[in-house]
Amino acid sequence: MTSDVKPLLPRHDDLVNERLVAWYFLAALTFLTVSMLAGLLVALQLIRANPLDGVELLSPARWRMVHTNAIAYGFLANAFLGCLHWAIPRLTLRPVASVALSYFIFSAWQFVVVCTAAGIILGPSFQAQDWVAELASQLHISMSLGAQGVEWGETPFWIDPVAQLGLLLVAINFMTPIVRQRGPMYVSLWYFMAAFVWTFLTYGMGNFMPEYAVGGVSGGAVGGLFIHDLVGLFVTPLGWGLMYYFVPIMLKRPIWSHGLSLVGFWGLAFFYPLQGIHHFLYTPIPMFLQYGAIISTIAVELVVTTVVINFIGTIWGDGEVLKKNLPIRWFYCGMIYYFITCFQCALQVTLTFQKLIHFTDWVVGHAHLVMFGVFSMWIFGIMTYLFPRLIGRDWHSRKLCEIHFWFSAVGVFIMFLDLGLAGVFQGYYWASLAPWDVSVMGSQSFWVVRAFAGLMMFAGTLCFLVNLYLTWRGPVRELNPDIDVAPALA
Amino acid sequence: MNEPGFLQEDAFPGNDPPEKKPSPTDEAKSARFRTRLTIVLAVLILVPSMYGFVGKFYEFVRIYRGDWEGSFAIAPMLNYLLASGGFLCLFFWATANRMFHDIEEPKHAMLDNEQRLDQQLGGKP
Repeated sequence: MTSDVKPLLPRHDDLVNERLVAWYFLAALTFLTVSMLAGLLVALQLIRANPLDGVELLSPARWRMVHTNAIAYGFLANAFLGCLHWAIPRLTLRPVASVALSYFIFSAWQFVVVCTAAGIILGPSFQAQDWVAELASQLHISMSLGAQGVEWGETPFWIDPVAQLGLLLVAINFMTPIVRQRGPMYVSLWYFMAAFVWTFLTYGMGNFMPEYAVGGVSGGAVGGLFIHDLVGLFVTPLGWGLMYYFVPIMLKRPIWSHGLSLVGFWGLAFFYPLQGIHHFLYTPIPMFLQYGAIISTIAVELVVTTVVINFIGTIWGDGEVLKKNLPIRWFYCGMIYYFITCFQCALQVTLTFQKLIHFTDWVVGHAHLVMFGVFSMWIFGIMTYLFPRLIGRDWHSRKLCEIHFWFSAVGVFIMFLDLGLAGVFQGYYWASLAPWDVSVMGSQSFWVVRAFAGLMMFAGTLCFLVNLYLTWRGPVRELNPDIDVAPALA
Repeated sequence: MNEPGFLQEDAFPGNDPPEKKPSPTDEAKSARFRTRLTIVLAVLILVPSMYGFVGKFYEFVRIYRGDWEGSFAIAPMLNYLLASGGFLCLFFWATANRMFHDIEEPKHAMLDNEQRLDQQLGGKP
């Protein structure tokens, strides 16, 4: 017979540093704004309406890299770190290893992101100076001071060691409470633990191996692994880990099947690392590696199906909540987009389909759906839930929250459909061996729609920022333990 | 335009009536269905993934023994084998340490802890 007396839990305030969570969120939103502005600039360039035409430092090629790096390392990484500072201590009932280390990591990470942007924008111009070239020659520095020539790994070579060290410190800080956990672990902690190991390895692999160790085709293969593993082994486990935490607490019911969630986790662990080569189909990379990547990509769709079944099972019979509960709506909309994007992935890696859409805007649409339509939307949902708790105020306007959701969800879906269609058109233009210009002219109408879809998403984000500001300026609410403090469980 | 109550009533439906509890028979049926589905999906996913791992390892050994055409592939395959090998060890360690013993228990413990943490925050015992 077991005793009903439960051990006393530590206080929330002793576990979670709410100020740090809020800072991470604000840093994330700042970089999101920069990234979206950069994306808008590139969209305007494509429709020949670039207002900064001729300004070397603000050329679209550099801003394009700022756009992607700011979203990956500035927005997603910062937002995830903020969420983890909330979720991990509450899941393990232990604080992170060191609050001082947390603040150091926060500062160091902002330094890394700002230096990356500065390196990308200023690096090439700086390097063109005679004295810099001479100094680099004397010091035998053969690498570019600006972006590295690895897709998604453009962080300049001189900032890579700092970022790598930062990731190690992040792992130490968060793994400490996780490894002290005794007994069976909740699935979120499995995902988080794996993410800390994978991210450290993935970053090192993509940023150091092609630069210093392996070149040529092998370097290309490593680059392919890096591109996809950054999504699959950094963003995906953190995103799903957070969903497995936030969805049950908001629905006031446990996840449908914990066993199934672990199947999804181990499936991801063994399948995902194989996938990256699918970015380089039809290249000199040995065909058995390409086939391996194709098969594992299709197999991941099975893994994703288990995860989606689990979340549908969790909300089954309570669909009404999708109407009135905004964070849950953000989460489930992101999950639907995730399923679409993974299904799309399984189709587009087949060699016949790849022949048509390779290098086209199809891939760009796919990338936007996964990075914005899935992970950014999950983060918006978490922020919608946590911000009132962090700043002790109710949202100023539900209408602005709703506009944020609808503009983001509809905007990114329009962009996804538009670019998917553009990609098919471009593929057929190229297959017909028509001159390149013909495909560019044929893409114009699609690119106009893309710019408007981007503007819609940006408008939604602006609504969120305005709402946040007005909320912060609003009156502090009185805590109601039955409703405000324990909303999902009362 | 402050709208107090939006969070309480809509975003966080905290004052909803308590849910109707399913009967023990329904619970047992649901648990059986969950277990079967989990086993089927586990076989569908984990068996081929293990097959993939062994396949990659075999290719790696073949290349190591002198198939020079495949030497391009050593770096990415070594990366995969290192990462997956680590997780294979972790999987065996977790099994040996009974991490999957009472497989559904952590989801209830998590929810219970969350409730108690929030009650403490609100000053409740």
